[in-house]
Amino acid sequence: MRANRTRASCALALVLTLGGTLTGCGGDGGGPGGKVRLQFTWWGNPDRAARTEKAVKLFERRHPDIDITTSFAGFDTYLAKLATQAAGGDAPDVMQLDYRQINQYATSGILLDLGEHPELRSSEIDRGLLATGAVDGKQYALPAARGTETVAYDAALWRKAGVPAPTRSWTWDDWSDAMRKLSAAKTSQGRVGSIDPGQSEDVFEIWLRGQGKSLYTKDEKLGFTEDDLTRYWEWSNGLRKQGAVSPAEQTTLMDGTVENTPLGRQKAIADFNWDAPVSGYEAIVGKGLKMAPMPVGEDGTAGQYFKPSMFFGASAKTAHPKQAAQFIDFLLNDKEAGAILGATRGIPANDTIRQDVLPKLEGFDQVISTYQKQFEGKLKDPPPAPPKGDASLQKTFSRDYDQVSYEHMSPREAARDYITEAKAELRQ
Amino acid sequence: MTTAPMTTAPAARRRPTGRIVLHICLIAVLLVMLYPLAWLLATSFKPADEVIASLKLLPSHFEWGNYSTALDGVNEVSVGRLLWNSLLIACGAVLGNVISCSLAAYAFARLRFRMRGPLFAFMIATIMLPHHAILIPQYIIFNQLGMVNTYWPMILPKFLATDAFFVFLIVQFMRGLPRELEEAARIDGCGPFRSFFSVILPLTRPALITTAIFTFIWTWNDFFTQLIYLFEPEKFTLTLALRSFVDASSQSAFGPMFAMSVFALLPIVLFFLAFQRFLVEGMASSGLKG
Amino acid sequence: MTATATRPPDAAPPATGGRRTPKRERQGAAWVFLSPWVLGAAVLTLLPMAVSLYLSFTDYDMFDAPRWIGFRNYTQMFTEDPRYWRSVITTLTYVVIAVPLQLLLALAVAIALKSVRRGKGFYRSAFYAPSLLGASMSIALVWRAIFNDGGSVDNLLSGMGIDIGGWINKPGWAILSVALLTIWQFGAPMVIFLAGLQQIPAELYEAAAVDGASWWRQFRSITIPMLSPVLFFNLVLQMIQAFQVFTPAFAVSAGRGGPADSTLVYTLYLYDRGFTASHMGYASAMAWALLLAIGVVTAVLFRTSRSWVFYANDNDEGAR
Repeated sequence: MRANRTRASCALALVLTLGGTLTGCGGDGGGPGGKVRLQFTWWGNPDRAARTEKAVKLFERRHPDIDITTSFAGFDTYLAKLATQAAGGDAPDVMQLDYRQINQYATSGILLDLGEHPELRSSEIDRGLLATGAVDGKQYALPAARGTETVAYDAALWRKAGVPAPTRSWTWDDWSDAMRKLSAAKTSQGRVGSIDPGQSEDVFEIWLRGQGKSLYTKDEKLGFTEDDLTRYWEWSNGLRKQGAVSPAEQTTLMDGTVENTPLGRQKAIADFNWDAPVSGYEAIVGKGLKMAPMPVGEDGTAGQYFKPSMFFGASAKTAHPKQAAQFIDFLLNDKEAGAILGATRGIPANDTIRQDVLPKLEGFDQVISTYQKQFEGKLKDPPPAPPKGDASLQKTFSRDYDQVSYEHMSPREAARDYITEAKAELRQ
Repeated sequence: MTTAPMTTAPAARRRPTGRIVLHICLIAVLLVMLYPLAWLLATSFKPADEVIASLKLLPSHFEWGNYSTALDGVNEVSVGRLLWNSLLIACGAVLGNVISCSLAAYAFARLRFRMRGPLFAFMIATIMLPHHAILIPQYIIFNQLGMVNTYWPMILPKFLATDAFFVFLIVQFMRGLPRELEEAARIDGCGPFRSFFSVILPLTRPALITTAIFTFIWTWNDFFTQLIYLFEPEKFTLTLALRSFVDASSQSAFGPMFAMSVFALLPIVLFFLAFQRFLVEGMASSGLKG
Repeated sequence: MTATATRPPDAAPPATGGRRTPKRERQGAAWVFLSPWVLGAAVLTLLPMAVSLYLSFTDYDMFDAPRWIGFRNYTQMFTEDPRYWRSVITTLTYVVIAVPLQLLLALAVAIALKSVRRGKGFYRSAFYAPSLLGASMSIALVWRAIFNDGGSVDNLLSGMGIDIGGWINKPGWAILSVALLTIWQFGAPMVIFLAGLQQIPAELYEAAAVDGASWWRQFRSITIPMLSPVLFFNLVLQMIQAFQVFTPAFAVSAGRGGPADSTLVYTLYLYDRGFTASHMGYASAMAWALLLAIGVVTAVLFRTSRSWVFYANDNDEGAR
């Protein structure tokens, strides 16, 4: 695969430069003055940038022979930029990766097999979590931190409506009942219970896992049928029609920011989200903001899992694999680095670092870590990284559901559409 | 050739009441048009919880912190540096487009050569292909040339007249110039080069200023190219930096983002104000059509 | 693109002076003037275009080597992808709304500004101001706020008894708010119109006024014909740009093309296929289909232009 790719991009480069200024397809050598230069990219916000920069400085102090150039962008733009760089044969030496990129990048020969580099230790990372960064038995990326989904809600409004508070073992039916009661209560002043869960593939996955199924099977095929999806969408669409969850006009305003969720716009009382972004609701909801576990299946099967919020990987073409591995090791396993980075990428995946960091966390990070603690050792292993071709399916999922909630399609029609497209994408 | 006086359009000759009505209409349209700009400005002063959620124009209280956060810079790069980088790219692009597009336009508009028809058709066709489709091949070329993470991918194409829009624009302007101009120059012994520089170019000034203004603004705002080609934060531009306040996967700082975009607007406003008067006055005094 | 689609710019007969200079010297000079463009067109445009044409016949996911699949992308696009055709219809709707309205507004303001004596610079700058912004993220957020449920537009309209609600979350209305963003930024065509208006000799109006021609008469028989080359330029370019509309739709829909795909315009879908779904081959095929479509529309425009675009230069030539 790898050789094939290299030959192809060389051929492409040859065509492109028309026998002109071809500089060769080999990687570039060391930097000037014998100093090793590494490029490191990630996505994130200014706070993460400041902390990362500090950690990088520390690393450079300890390794005077290594010089690290860093760069960052917002998530959506980062994906497009990294894809362009990778396609141009120019992936950065060390990169932060998303769950959904791993399989594609690994099988296309973009990523280095980090398992071959003993500089990089992974012993302190949970086995199940670690496995999400492995493809065909090779460790292409290591999880940096973990997150899990939650039901964030306005506890004050919830209490006023007289609805029993969420428990650790509430089922999807309990959840539906609560939403119906919340939206009907006078005290809610016209707010609905929750965001419409139909638009979210993430929520669908938890729902599926609660029934012992999964999005993808081990052999990288779809893990559910048209009937499963139809059932899910009929359920959510029914709640929408009853006014228990947000109407299409509210649901469609979601743009990835917490501010534009129904809860963020103060049109709903609860919302599904990953734990890390929930801090954003605090400014809007205030002190009454609480986090409940995700509902479980009818037989009590929990669908919830710890998902690696991001990974670190290295380029297969890097001229300095050893140093790249050293740097990733530093980011993941070094105590001082852990103290600097805190929970800026999520609650650390490294068990020791996590124990060290937790007491020092401030503000909402503390709430998140307390939330996560209740699941410690109780959740099933996360599913392996989604297969290649899945990249656009999350968008397709909400797009198809848009057709349902605007009543352009029936749940069955939309589900058929999704399955057809998913199979085409996964090249089944 | 007589110098044309300031032209007077028909409406200007009407009674004063007509003129007042005209002003009232213009101001009414302007008020509607400037409303979103007022919104942009007001939002830059909103506290964090109102930036997205509030549907009111004015903030509940003025939050100057947005500006101080924005002016602190991003990722340890100062705003001054970002501004300088933006200016460098925009000015380089302006210079490139004005020179190369006017050269090419002159050939298309005033000179005769084989293949002119097909080449002109090809040039127009290049405007029609969505640029996303050639992004990857272009990236590979610039990568092979060793120009990734430099400003060349933003400036070099302008020096090679790849903005067919402007070539076409200047061509259309040059076509309006009377043939006799060059004939007269030729009788005085000027070759195509002399007549280009001393006769045609000065008369095309309004089109060149239009090119300069549009190039400056469009390059300044061209987020995607800058995103793809620039790597090191020290090389980032204002347009790129203001986006880094926003990350969908974590908490965003929309307030400072708005403050930064108001700040990033200032240079292009100044550039436009400085050059807009040449747009029309230059034309009126150029004495087209004897 | 075919050579017949566009006419060489010089519709006028060969330059009268062409006879006096040796042909070879002028040919050589032309190539000197053209050399930067030729280099740029060959390396930075033609080459990438050729590659994308090649890719349009392949299955290319940006990571693995492109695999030749013949016309499969094209047949899939035309026969198996309902979303593709929805995006075509959305784009056509947008073009039909945005192009005429933007040009009309730009022309109206340009003509009004020409008759204004005082405050010309102020007006010009103020009307241009929205165009300084581009479709940046901040203007996108402003637009989403103004056209939201309970936003300024909603309040204004319901005050007048029209109850639409938010525009950006209504499938039928969202594309209109995208078009309005484009129309709002009419500065570029306005400036080009203004420059064109200045080229019209004042004597023409003076003569017409002496003959007692009405304002409307002067507008129809002097302004429009004299302005037609510039009008034509603006029409062609705005049309081409409208077919390729990306940023306003991306901005207003937060990159999603929603609600219910109602703002998923052609290039937004192309970007989605290419960069989100990693189907660069398919995206390239979409790009070439678009190029052909725009080419046909442009060719038709150039054809019809012969009957209504009037080049002063030809007139000068004929008048003598």
